[in-house]
Amino acid sequence: MKDFLRHNGILLLIAAVLLAAVVAIASALMPAAPTLLGNALGVIAAPLRAGVSTVAVWIQDQYNRSANYDALVEENQRLREENARLQREAREAVSDSKENEELRNLLELREKRREFSLESATILSRSATSWESSLTLSKGSIHDVEAGDCVIDSQGNLVGVVSEVGVNWCSVTTLLDPELEMGALIFRTDNAAILEGDFGLMPEGKLKLSYLPDNDQLISGDVVLTSGKGGVYPPRLMVGTVDEVRTEESGMSRYAVLTPAADLKSLTQVFIIKSFDIVE
Amino acid sequence: MTQRDKFIKWCSYALAFLLVAGLENLVFARFPIYGVIPIMAPLAVVMVGVFEGSTAGAAFGIAAGAFCDAMYLHTNGGMTVACTLIGLFSGITTQYAFNATLMGGYICSVLALAGLDGVRVLWRLLGGAPLEGLLRIALPEVLYSLILVLPVYLIFRSVYRRVGGDRLA
Repeated sequence: MKDFLRHNGILLLIAAVLLAAVVAIASALMPAAPTLLGNALGVIAAPLRAGVSTVAVWIQDQYNRSANYDALVEENQRLREENARLQREAREAVSDSKENEELRNLLELREKRREFSLESATILSRSATSWESSLTLSKGSIHDVEAGDCVIDSQGNLVGVVSEVGVNWCSVTTLLDPELEMGALIFRTDNAAILEGDFGLMPEGKLKLSYLPDNDQLISGDVVLTSGKGGVYPPRLMVGTVDEVRTEESGMSRYAVLTPAADLKSLTQVFIIKSFDIVE
Repeated sequence: MTQRDKFIKWCSYALAFLLVAGLENLVFARFPIYGVIPIMAPLAVVMVGVFEGSTAGAAFGIAAGAFCDAMYLHTNGGMTVACTLIGLFSGITTQYAFNATLMGGYICSVLALAGLDGVRVLWRLLGGAPLEGLLRIALPEVLYSLILVLPVYLIFRSVYRRVGGDRLA
């Protein structure tokens, strides 16, 4: 065994460590850029992933259709009622916004606007390890996607942030990933807090809202939005709702457990916010 | 063995590895159980080490690890080192302690998975993550992965029986 290690093992280990060091240094110097090998694999794998994704989505759809028929009928009824209520509220909102516009003109306030430059993308694959929560999308640097761009679903709920960009693909770190931290705003109380993924909550598909203000009495169902402080991420994107409030192990502070508004498990199509212009 | 035989042999192992990595990335990643996804690529390296010995296992580990580093996010070269060590020690274990059987494969897989997740837990623990949360991922992940040792073993055994060792010589 000593002979083996002297003749082969050490050389192999040195080769492996050197290779790993090159990859590690490249990753450290360019955190948002994939390695050459990673980019090449991403480009080659993109059509394969797209094919597998299509088949997997079809199988999931068939399963959902047969297994959840009763639940879908019930949900359909509930959505009809909700739709009727929302239509009523929308009619009222039209007159409210007209009044709001008149008042803003009277006070000479700047006109409110929320403009996003969106890029539609398909989810090609999901994270292949349990230690992170990420998605690979079908758009990359040739579509002007950049690291740090927010990703939302079709309802405008936050999905995650682009972390790595290849030529025709990009990776998105989702809300659940412990690497992601972002400023948040509790809609009802207007207080700020920090959104972060947590290893203990990630398998349950939930995330953590920490640094809660001492005086903040959160209740189940409270809506949490992005704060947009710092101007890096757009403000007031829907993140999720509060499930419960827990005390940290130290007993010194509290945190809330959030359920994301975006259904990360069944998402197939998302939108990358390439740029935004918001005046509120 | 001629160069051509070696080429055929390692291409067969590479294809078997791609099959396993493809299953892990494209199928199991889509259907996590209790929020965890099994680790399969390092199991493939274990099997090459078990059947082909430590030198071949380590060499295969370098290639497989580089592939994993390219496919996964935020591994920063860690999988290259991990897979090389896994291939190396799986080979040494079966050369000196166990036979290249299913039992040997299982024992090496348990050690590889425990080592891999042990390092992951330790690394994140040093980063300040709570142990309880980390174990809630590591333990189910190792158990789930152990169920898949059998199919991975069977895939690589079938390759070994056709082209492994000096069979093509």
